[in-house]
Amino acid sequence: MTPDCVDILMVDDNPADVDLAREALDETHRPYRLQSVSDGEEALSFLTHKGAYTQAVTPDLLFLDLNLPRKDGRHVLAEMKRDPQLAKIPVVVFTTSRAFSDVVSSYELGANCYVRKPGTLPEFLATVREVSDFWLRHAILPRKENS
Amino acid sequence: MLPAPSLAPATAQRPIPDGRAGQNWSRTNPRQEPQQLRVLFVEDQPADVELARRALREHGFDVQGCAVQDPDQFLNEIRKGVYDIVLADYNLPQWNGMEAVSLLRREGLDIPVILVTGALEEARAVECLKDGAADYLLKEHLTRLPESIRQALREKKLREDNKRSQQELARSNRELEQFAYVASHDLQEPLRMIASYTQLIADRYRGKLDDKADRYIHYAVDGATRMQALIDDLLTFSRVGRQGLALQNSDCNEAIEIACKNLENAIRETGAQVEHDRLPVIVADGRLLVQLFQNLISNSIKFRGTEAPHIQISAEKQKREWIFAVTDNGIGIAPEHAQSIFGIFKRLHTHDEYPGSGIGLSICKKIVEHHGGRIWVESAPGRGATFKVVLASLLAKHKQEKLP
Repeated sequence: MTPDCVDILMVDDNPADVDLAREALDETHRPYRLQSVSDGEEALSFLTHKGAYTQAVTPDLLFLDLNLPRKDGRHVLAEMKRDPQLAKIPVVVFTTSRAFSDVVSSYELGANCYVRKPGTLPEFLATVREVSDFWLRHAILPRKENS
Repeated sequence: MLPAPSLAPATAQRPIPDGRAGQNWSRTNPRQEPQQLRVLFVEDQPADVELARRALREHGFDVQGCAVQDPDQFLNEIRKGVYDIVLADYNLPQWNGMEAVSLLRREGLDIPVILVTGALEEARAVECLKDGAADYLLKEHLTRLPESIRQALREKKLREDNKRSQQELARSNRELEQFAYVASHDLQEPLRMIASYTQLIADRYRGKLDDKADRYIHYAVDGATRMQALIDDLLTFSRVGRQGLALQNSDCNEAIEIACKNLENAIRETGAQVEHDRLPVIVADGRLLVQLFQNLISNSIKFRGTEAPHIQISAEKQKREWIFAVTDNGIGIAPEHAQSIFGIFKRLHTHDEYPGSGIGLSICKKIVEHHGGRIWVESAPGRGATFKVVLASLLAKHKQEKLP
């Protein structure tokens, strides 16, 4: 049985981190589609199929940076968790912030996990790999169950 | 002891700059422009006030001020903030001159108090000086008064200058730390990109380009990795003190266990032995305590000699303090470097000999001083080193009572 292709959305204003995540996912040798947007407004348009994103596929997993231009990650998270459709998408807050207040508020807003971007390449790659592996292989997601 | 009257012509007089009269007044020239002096007399005998005034006028002071007899009047006057000096009779019917000293201290005012008295036992006089009186003199020695006042004013000016420079130093230190924090914090992100991508290039293209390329890429990776470690340390350094102390009962034995766990790899690789006596529980910031021991142990491991590192940690109680000793069998430190090794970025060796940022021991110093303690090293080259840390147990005892 070949695994389904999974859709991942990465919300990050640093294209270098998106590329690093892609490198990590390539190493898993499982089919995936990684799309990315670079600010909070775009993220919500993408998720609600608005504007340039009418054809966008609802992602299975979302990597969300906190400090973003236009609308920051906390707002995106809050709006997603208020929307019954979007609330089902697991959100991995993925940020360099190590502020305890960010950790707490992310969980309060309904983040599924809070992961700090590691400083070194091997750790970064391993983290993205392991987090994706958990959510896409071990965890059972509502969308997959229903389909 | 009157100075000889001078007959110097008026042309020889130099103008006295505003506000610096006290310094420029020459004792040998009593005919110079009088120095304004605002005196508060604490005295119930008008005749004694007059005597003192006269003695001062004769020595070139333009005396202004008034006399008070009890604490209320005294407080009223000093709160006006106009007095240069207080001349207090040691024995008044209602109170004594030393109470004037304590009132001034309570008000946070630095006005020198000179005790003038009919008779004062030598031992008591010394005690008064210890308690903060600027000077004391017997009424029959009033001729000493002018010099005593000048001395008191000079000392006060020194105190003020000293306080000002300390405040200035503290302010500039705070700014520097703020800068170090912001700079290193903001440098982390771009540096993470450089480090990650040079590493990625190294992984991807090693052996696919020529030797030179491999070498150059290695330099870039190495430089970026080192800078990351440096900035990490710098951030750790500036965090100590930015966040207040989270004081709690901290078991030093546990702190060392955690520190050793964090240093697991280094300990295994070098075959280091870390031993400690039964150590006390003290009130300290537990996280910082771990960091302190960790940095000291790591320092001992890094500067090991030819034999495997052996590190012994002990503690000894002396009066109100615990003296911790971290002793190693490493290469030791020459006494002339015993101070400077605690300075930030201070390295005694090249990077190739001993890698590291040179912040470790300055973090230790900052942690210890933040707890009101002291740290120093006792060592000689080739004979190992003993780092001594003193942490007050007074604070410990006091705080412990309040802890659950």
